[in-house]
Amino acid sequence: MTNHDHERATELIARRGTEELAAADVGWLESHLSACGPCTQYAQDFDNTGRLLRATAITATPALVAATQARVRARAMHLAEQRSRMVLVAISFCLGALSSAVSALLWWRFGSWIAERFGWSPAIVQPGIMLALVLPAIVIAGLMLAFPRPSIEGPLMSALVREREGRNQ
Amino acid sequence: MIATAFIASSLVPMETEEAQIARGLRRRDPELLDALIEQYQHRLLRYLLHLTGNRAVAEDLFQEVWMRVLEKGHLYDGRNRFVTWLMSIGHNVAIDYLRKRSPASLDEMQDPEEGAPFEPPAHGPSPFDEAVEHQQQERFNEALQQVPPLFREVLVLRFQEQMKLEEIAKLIHIPLATVKTRIYRGVLALKPLIKGAAQ
Repeated sequence: MTNHDHERATELIARRGTEELAAADVGWLESHLSACGPCTQYAQDFDNTGRLLRATAITATPALVAATQARVRARAMHLAEQRSRMVLVAISFCLGALSSAVSALLWWRFGSWIAERFGWSPAIVQPGIMLALVLPAIVIAGLMLAFPRPSIEGPLMSALVREREGRNQ
Repeated sequence: MIATAFIASSLVPMETEEAQIARGLRRRDPELLDALIEQYQHRLLRYLLHLTGNRAVAEDLFQEVWMRVLEKGHLYDGRNRFVTWLMSIGHNVAIDYLRKRSPASLDEMQDPEEGAPFEPPAHGPSPFDEAVEHQQQERFNEALQQVPPLFREVLVLRFQEQMKLEEIAKLIHIPLATVKTRIYRGVLALKPLIKGAAQ
């Protein structure tokens, strides 16, 4: 009997029970076990370990399941809301960019007309008008970054957990 | 089973169960997620409990796993069994937790202060049998917690989850030969502990 035989036997022992072994493998294992003491002992230990492990009863409590379902639902709602908000932000951004480009062009021409009308330098008037246009947007963006909107996930999740637990009682 | 019933009642009949779960996860379908949590609650908790050895931690990780299933659901392609994918998330979450607890190797990551690992509910036909069985289970669980987590994990996956060796290898990202070795060593490591516990 070689080391390879023992290795093959331990592999087949580990596989039987969860996989359908070929008839040839089953026959080989049986004849090997009948002749090999250490492998027979290992097969017994293996079965014993499996029996003891399977006898261990561990169950999740209904409260844990309910709390998990509530958390997952709340998070799913939050993600869905975030996603729809992102779509709205993307659409708003595209529309904003388009209207800004058109209005910037018009204001640029208006600056040129003003400069010509009053005899001022267009190199100063046109950038000045553009700066006056974008300044409010820069200020608002800065304020939004400094004071972000509070997330609704916390209170919403607590409400859902309370609702679920109430339903299970 | 619950998820199967849910799927059977609501989705295309020709699709496999795994493909239907994958589709539901991509949509973040809350009904499907509820059904999956119901269906796999005991198996996932059992696996996490054996891996961490602490019920409170296992329950926290249980919730974390389902949050990850929700967030990473689009990554499940339905080609493997859902339970294998779920357990691999459980494995990663538990490993992350164990690494945070101690940056050393996984073998050294058992917390001796956490006391008795868990209390399996006893059952049996009479109070005496119940008490004996409860005691035996407690002893076995204590013995199991003395086995290094690397071995304990493969034993739980092989015996409790009835997983094939290839599935275990895929789940915990190790070669097939390592799975065989860990099962072999795990069984041998547990043997004297079971005997010691029985005395």
